[in-house]
Order: sequence, then C-alpha cells, then structure tokens
Amino acid sequence: MKHHYWEPPIALYLFLGGLAGGILFLAAIFNSFVVPGYAEVFALPVLVSLACVAVGCVFLVIDLGQPGVFWRVWTTSKSIIKWGATFLVIAAVFALLFFLAFIGDAWPIFAGLSDFLKPAADFFLIVAGFFGLCIMMYTGIMLSTLKAHAFWATPALPVLFTISAISTGCAAVVLSIGGWPAVISLESLVVSEIVLEILHVVDIVLVIAELIVLLTMVLSFAGAGNVTAKAAALRWVKGSYAGLFWVGMVGLGLVVPLVMYIGGGHSAAATLIAPILVLCGGCLLRFMVVNTDDRAEIPGENRYYNRVAKNDAEFITKWTYGDNQF
Amino acid sequence: MTRYVMVIDQRRCIGCHSCTVACRTWNKLPLDIVYNPVVTEGAQGTWPNVHKSWQPLLCMHCENPECVPCCPSGASQQDEDGTVWVDPKKCLSCKVCVNACPYGMRDASHLEDRMHRFVRKCTFCRDKRQLDPDAKPYCVETCHQKARIFGDLDDPNSEVSKLIGSVKTERLFEEFGTDPQIYYIPELGGKA
Repeated sequence: MKHHYWEPPIALYLFLGGLAGGILFLAAIFNSFVVPGYAEVFALPVLVSLACVAVGCVFLVIDLGQPGVFWRVWTTSKSIIKWGATFLVIAAVFALLFFLAFIGDAWPIFAGLSDFLKPAADFFLIVAGFFGLCIMMYTGIMLSTLKAHAFWATPALPVLFTISAISTGCAAVVLSIGGWPAVISLESLVVSEIVLEILHVVDIVLVIAELIVLLTMVLSFAGAGNVTAKAAALRWVKGSYAGLFWVGMVGLGLVVPLVMYIGGGHSAAATLIAPILVLCGGCLLRFMVVNTDDRAEIPGENRYYNRVAKNDAEFITKWTYGDNQF
Repeated sequence: MTRYVMVIDQRRCIGCHSCTVACRTWNKLPLDIVYNPVVTEGAQGTWPNVHKSWQPLLCMHCENPECVPCCPSGASQQDEDGTVWVDPKKCLSCKVCVNACPYGMRDASHLEDRMHRFVRKCTFCRDKRQLDPDAKPYCVETCHQKARIFGDLDDPNSEVSKLIGSVKTERLFEEFGTDPQIYYIPELGGKA
C-alpha cells in the first residue's frame, strides 16, 4: 500500500494554519472582552499570524502538482478544502488590515493609512478572529472526513487540532505580545502583563485538555479501534513512533511545559522555554498525524505494491514519453 | 439510463496480470502507477490442502464516491453512466481524493513536468468508449479467461445483470457506504 501522498509541506501548513488561527482567535477574544482599548499590543502577534498564514499558503501551493492554477480551489462549492482556502484568505486580509492600522506607530510614513484604518481596527480583529477559529477547526475536520484513513476518521481529531491550535497560539502570543510596532508605554506594558498572566493560566488548562484528548484518542484506538486504527495507534504507543510520541509529544511537548508553567512562575522556563516547547509539540503532532495515513488493507495488497518498481527506469520514461512513442 | 459495472469472476482468474499490462500499455502509465493490480492471496494452508486466489482490483466506480465531493476544483467527477474520472485540465493535484479513496485506486502522477501533474485513475477506458459506445475497457478485452465482464447493469439482458442476479457476488469494503460497482464472484473452495 502506498503512503504519504501528503508530504511535509502539508503537515507544516496544518501546524502554521492552526497556529495563525489560534493567535487571531486569542487576540480577538482578549481585545474584545478582556483588555479592550489596547489593540496595539496585539499588532506583533497578528503580524506573526500573518507570517504563518503566508508561509503556510506557500507550502500549500508548492505541494500542489499544478501550483500555477491554485485558484481552481474556488471552482466548486462542496469541498472542505475550498472552505479552508476561503477562511485563510479572509482571515489574512482582515489580519493585514488590523496590522496596517498600527504600522503608522513605528513607520510614520504610513501614519495616514493607519489613522484611516484605526477606527475599524477592533472590527478587523473580530472578523479575523472568527475566521481564525474556522481555520483551526477546518484543518481537523478536513482530515477527519477522509474516512478511508481509520486514524483520521474520528471526531476527536478536530477537537485535538483545535485545542492544539489555541494552545500553540497562546504560546506564540506569550512570546510576541506588546512588541514592535506598539509604542512601549506604561499602559501597554501593564496590559501586556495582564494578558500574559491570563494566558499563563489559559495555556495550563489547554495543555491539560490537549493531553487528555490526545491520550484518549490514541489509547482508545489502541484498545478498541478497528484493525487499521489499532495497528496505527499501537505504532504510536509501543511501535516505531513510540519514542516520538511519549518523549517528544507527550513529554517535551506537553508534560514538561505544563510543569514549567505551573512551577516556573515568572522565570525564563515558564515565559520562554515552555511556549517554545508547546510550539514544537504542536508541530510534531501535525507531522505524526499526517504520516499516520493507514488505510484498510486489501488482502495481498501490500505484497503487490512492495514489488512494484518505486520509480521509473530511465528507459521506460524515454520509451513512454520520449520520441520513441510506439 | 446506463450504469456501467464490472463483474470479476475470481473462479476464472489465473493471476496472469494480462489486464495490468494491457492497461499500462493503453494508458501509458509510469512504472509505479497501476490502475488495475492483481493481488495474490495465499498460498494458504498446508500441503496438500493449499489454496491460492487472485483478486483483480481497479477503481470501484462507486455510486457514492468518496473522491468526488472532496475535490476542490471539480476535476474529480462522475458521469451519468457511473464512470468516475479526473479531468487533467481542471486538476490541481492537491491529492485529497487520493487520500479519500478507501481502495487506494488513485495515484498522483509524478512523471510529468513538476508544474503540470495531475491525479490519475481508471476510467473504465472512458476515452475509448467515447469513440465507440459499445467498446469495452482494454482489461476486459484482453482477459483471455473472461474473468472480467463489463456491461450495463440497468440493461436486464446484459451479461452483468444476469450474473449479478443469479450468482452470489461480493463487493469490497461495503462498510464505507460508497456502494462500489465492481462485483466479485468469489473463488470456489473458500479459505484454507
């Protein structure tokens, strides 16, 4: 059976898209309900999310077999991928508008543009945050609708991806809040500090939730999944992925940051290392899930495909597509 | 209405792979892409009670295909006669349909220029049937054991209708709800 039609760019995109969605969602929530009126502290986090969307979209497009005509994704109305592409574009446009509303603080040449956009900045962030939430959910839903792959076709996967996206978004906001182009003032420092304190607790909750959903999903597949899902989950629990899963994802990606968050207080461990570990854990999760694309085996299929040539021999390429075509 | 289906008589298949070769030749496939593999099950059992069977595979041309609604560009589509096919002029090669197929019967081509790849699959030789509506796919024509039988299920006098109505047939992975339209007449003797 052939595997891995979706290559590392797609896994990276799923991580970056979720991360961007998480940042926009959190920024919108905090700016609307928790610390209204200090939108400039979220300018750098929104810029980070814009960069993630941009890089993610580049990965998406270069993974296509026909990158030049990527706009064809908008030619049907049914597919989830089309909705995802729409969410990405809307979120990116409104995030860009929000960021431009504050670029004038750092680069006076854009002051006119920023002053023009600033009255609507809160609205831009709310729209971007809503579509950020849509991006986070669609990445998991898109995989979970592909029911040919037993490990993906579970409602736990969109939940896991959404929690992981908000959690990584949390970590990215912690690392970037209040930075350039926001003008450092006492007020913005205080607001950033308030947001950091809240995010500290929020990320503890999210990491615990992610741990629970991840272990529930993998262990229930390992115990009670169908043949295909069970084989895939056992690979995670005690097979070839066990090291990455237990040490990388559960250990360094979730438990260690959790301990640092709880016990670290305001040390560098809690404010710098733990968020970076959470980000790495989220990235690893996407890679492992995308690579676990096991399909139910048709008896004898694996033996057949193992014997098929992996690549074209030079002579057959020439014979089939060259000048010697029959 | 026409509904093309294929009946595969596993009692007759001898595992000669002629259909694979015919398909590869007609469709000019790269070496590692096979539309219709013939997979071998066995040999099972202990001498002298040994048993071996072959299962010719191809796109199931499902009535409710998984691979069509997920396509974002509308390249993956189904004709009124049930044929599921991909229009290379519309395909992006995002490979979501390759991942959606429960049978693994789609493949993303890689031989073409890096910027002009598309997803490939069996089309019941759609291009050939467009030239001659009575034509049969090459794998059917080449099968000297008459193990592959192609026809119109909606025509009560066709060979496939009579076979499906009279002989016990099986379909692959019906639990996915795709309503596959390749009917297997299982081998005699059962499993060893």
